[in-house]
Amino acid sequence: MMATYETVIGLEIHVELNTRSKIFCSCATAFGEAPNVNTCPVCLGLPGVMPVLNQEVVNLAVKAGNALGCEINLINKMDRKNYFYPDLPKAYQISQFDLPVCTGGFVDVLAEGKKTRVNLTRIHIEEDAGKLIHLEDEAYTLVDYNRGGVPLIEIVTEPDIRSAAEAVAFLKKLRAILVYSGISDCRMEQGSMRADVNISLREVGFQGLNTKVEIKNMNSMKEVFKAVKKEESRQLQLYTYGEGHKVVQETRRWDQAKGRTLSMRSKEDAHDYRYFPEPDLPPVKIDGEWVESIRATLPELPDEKKQRMMTTYGLKEAEVDILIEEKEIAEFFEATVVESGEARESANWIITEVLRVMKHEARIPLSPRQLADLVLEVRKGTISRTAAKEVFEVLLTREDETAAIIEEMGLKQISSADALEGIIQGVLEENPQAVADYRAGRTQSFGFLMGRCMKASKGKGNPGIVKQVLEDKLGS
Amino acid sequence: MDIAKMTIKAIHTGLENKDFKAEEVTRAYLARIKAFDQGIGAFLSLDEAGAIAMSRGIDEKIQGGEAPGLLTGVPLAVKDNLCTRGLKTTCASRMLEDFVPPYDATVVGRLRERGAVILGKANMDEFAMGSSNENSAFYPVKNPWDMTRVSGGSSGGPAAAVAAGFAPYALGSDTGGSIRMPASFCGLVGVKPTYGAVSRYGLIAFGSSLDQVGPFARTVEDAAIALEGIEGFDPKDATSVEGRVRGGYTASMLSGVKGIRIGVPREFFAQGVDPEVKKTVLRAVKRLEALGAEVEEFSLPITESGLSAYYMISSAEASSNLGRYDGVRFGYRTRDYDGFEEMVVKSRTEAFGQEVKRRIMLGTYVLSSGYYDAYYKKAMLFRQKVRRLFKEAFEVYDAVVSPTVPVLPFKLGEKTQDPLAMYLADLFTVNVNIAGIPAISLPAGFSEGGLPVGIQFMGDHFEETKLFRIAYALEQDLGLNLVPELKEVK
Amino acid sequence: MKVTKEEVAYIARLAHLSFTEEEALKMAGEFSDILAHFDNLSQEDLEGIDLYPFEEEGMRLREDQVIPFEHFEELYRNTRSMAGTAVKIPRVVD
Repeated sequence: MMATYETVIGLEIHVELNTRSKIFCSCATAFGEAPNVNTCPVCLGLPGVMPVLNQEVVNLAVKAGNALGCEINLINKMDRKNYFYPDLPKAYQISQFDLPVCTGGFVDVLAEGKKTRVNLTRIHIEEDAGKLIHLEDEAYTLVDYNRGGVPLIEIVTEPDIRSAAEAVAFLKKLRAILVYSGISDCRMEQGSMRADVNISLREVGFQGLNTKVEIKNMNSMKEVFKAVKKEESRQLQLYTYGEGHKVVQETRRWDQAKGRTLSMRSKEDAHDYRYFPEPDLPPVKIDGEWVESIRATLPELPDEKKQRMMTTYGLKEAEVDILIEEKEIAEFFEATVVESGEARESANWIITEVLRVMKHEARIPLSPRQLADLVLEVRKGTISRTAAKEVFEVLLTREDETAAIIEEMGLKQISSADALEGIIQGVLEENPQAVADYRAGRTQSFGFLMGRCMKASKGKGNPGIVKQVLEDKLGS
Repeated sequence: MDIAKMTIKAIHTGLENKDFKAEEVTRAYLARIKAFDQGIGAFLSLDEAGAIAMSRGIDEKIQGGEAPGLLTGVPLAVKDNLCTRGLKTTCASRMLEDFVPPYDATVVGRLRERGAVILGKANMDEFAMGSSNENSAFYPVKNPWDMTRVSGGSSGGPAAAVAAGFAPYALGSDTGGSIRMPASFCGLVGVKPTYGAVSRYGLIAFGSSLDQVGPFARTVEDAAIALEGIEGFDPKDATSVEGRVRGGYTASMLSGVKGIRIGVPREFFAQGVDPEVKKTVLRAVKRLEALGAEVEEFSLPITESGLSAYYMISSAEASSNLGRYDGVRFGYRTRDYDGFEEMVVKSRTEAFGQEVKRRIMLGTYVLSSGYYDAYYKKAMLFRQKVRRLFKEAFEVYDAVVSPTVPVLPFKLGEKTQDPLAMYLADLFTVNVNIAGIPAISLPAGFSEGGLPVGIQFMGDHFEETKLFRIAYALEQDLGLNLVPELKEVK
Repeated sequence: MKVTKEEVAYIARLAHLSFTEEEALKMAGEFSDILAHFDNLSQEDLEGIDLYPFEEEGMRLREDQVIPFEHFEELYRNTRSMAGTAVKIPRVVD
């Protein structure tokens, strides 16, 4: 009899904090500049330099702890993690080992209709390393230290995640919480949020944990999903065919091009990090008052927001989930509702049209006012829904008021029954057979006549009104 | 002007009274260095042009009516592990033999602001690891009192420079005795300030929780002036302490020692201490008693374990601090290599000296998994114990006295084959660094053979004031002649 | 406390240093002697001592502001190989 296996996943997420300057020096943290322009003796690790901790780093770490339900360790300390790698100038990373800034915490996740609470183990502060620039066909590698010293928090989860979908849902939820709180912009593509996945399989019912594999190098939520699915099936194959022993504790690289996880060069020695307390930094001492004052700066977090939006706007959970995933979209939605008073319609437009557009755009290309007006014009019957879609496309490129665009495009719907009277009458006279058929009981003829009417009105007839008038006329 | 005998005080007075010019003083020292340093090896590099230009600028200012500060126009030697912008800073290692820092250490910056004239960078044990200055990658430093003997280390260069009259004062660094020990061997005053009293920013790190920068001088007053010139909070050094440094030592040191309680820890005078050292130091203690101090013997059983704890902590920190030397962004890079790993391993192996490698290995070992608890953790626990024991002692005594070094200055090459024997020279100095307390070493007398013997006073955190009081009283009473005869080297 | 040649090799790898057979053996011997001597620490009574009393006066924190390094042109003067503004090193395989 074949055993059933379940997947056990824990995540280690590195998040770059939204500070202006680096964690231990006053260099800028800006992304995407020429190599090494944001460096100084401290982050370059020159002889004789010393680190000084950025106040805002502590603030944001505590804020993250507050937002994620963690316990804040009022006294915590920095430690050195020693290893050699070209992107690490001092040959040690200043991190936190046994006394991190936060312990515990949790994130509630909804995936594939199931609700799970993913518990966190800890959050700690550390500095980022530089970046290696690998070049094809060259005998050298380039090193850029701009990123070296950028402040990070590392969030570690308990192995509470059970599927790729759950992992992605967790990351999305975590991202939303951190972005809403202003702690980080969490852009996986830019590296301000990085996830390492620890995954193992075990027979259902087994309480212990089997050998886990670490997967690195996923640059988007999609890749996380694929990588987890791939690794899951790789391990499942091995276990199913009695080769479970071949699952070894190792780090595997997700190779997007190949669509596989690949074993990285073994770095066994690298695991002896020889942690010891950082002698150049006194302990981090926080008081309860400070923690509470930071908590007070937390905005409405995703879960709260979701509850409120469901209640206030009467929207379904699934719809709200989509709307609040990105802070910008949530804000846009609520602003649109303020302007239009139409929650349902606004939600529909945003979910179908705006999000479609956002796949290629960095910013929302129309204003809440413009969309609100569009919604209202449709509601009033000024334009048909079909016409509205055309107007929408134009609004993306223009800052003008919606009414003006509608006017310009001549898309005003004919909604007055009197105006339509004539057109419809004309159609009935031109199609006596259809009229007769309808009166004889063939209901399809109505559809045919509707089509003719809409055509005759050059598509401008308000379908609702046309139907009304047609019905009246046929009824008589 | 007998430049070899000049003090900071004397130079300052002369400049103020316009008896001579700063440039004359600087040139006189430079000439003396050129005449004698070949035989001593105190300097690794000289900045003649810079020193003369600086002194000229000072003269212009004085000419223009500016009153010179105590350190204005006064030349000094700076240990070569303190970063000096634009001047090579080598730590006496092949690894940094052509390293030119883009910034000044905070203490160097402060002295420059006060108009100090940096003559050059002084020799040392490589990366400050050593007790005899025989570990310099370039050449050893000889003791100006007897050039067949060591100057002590690791700040052998600064000590020898002052003792030989190449500068009235110098800056050194002390991690386990590296100022006090050469001060003792070279017949000088050497101060290791309270940990956190002086900025470490720009001091190339060896044992970060132990290192402190401090002055060498021939008189207690000069040492006090120099310390006042460099101490104080630095926002670039997160371990530097705000608002605790007292200052004003040159005034407060004149109060005498009546009623000062001095503890004599018997373990520091036990077996293993050279009988001449013991005799000379105890004689000095007796002098203090005659001057009104209350002297009492007590037990402070920390020497042996302290040495062990010190070597573990300092090596551990050093192994981490020296990881950055890989030839990538600066420093020595090996010629032939295949790939990054090899480049790093070969560069480090070729450029680091024996003792440095030994300590990196020792440090890596005591931190490695499996050994951390047995060695490093125990050392850190013992460290807390030492702090407590000193605190208890200072509840009773104003200062604790001991010989600075258990032995007389030894011959060059005498202890180089036995690392342990060399480490034992630090027996009486290391616990001071472990506890982070201040200590001062000054000459207590000479051996029959004319070799200097140093006496050490240890005080509670930020009690440098008391130490200067005791040292000044003793110095004035002993009235030793502290200028050795040097043979000119042709 | 006997330190073996193999342990020396492992530590050397961690420390990125290389030794010849002879040197490694010599070092193993020296270590064993030094560590044996330092065993006196084990005799100490370390009961009830707080490893982290955290007596140091809290943190020295920095304000979150950008201050570019004033002598930027000198920063890479000691670097032996660069490509533009990036530091160049022999090829590293991830």
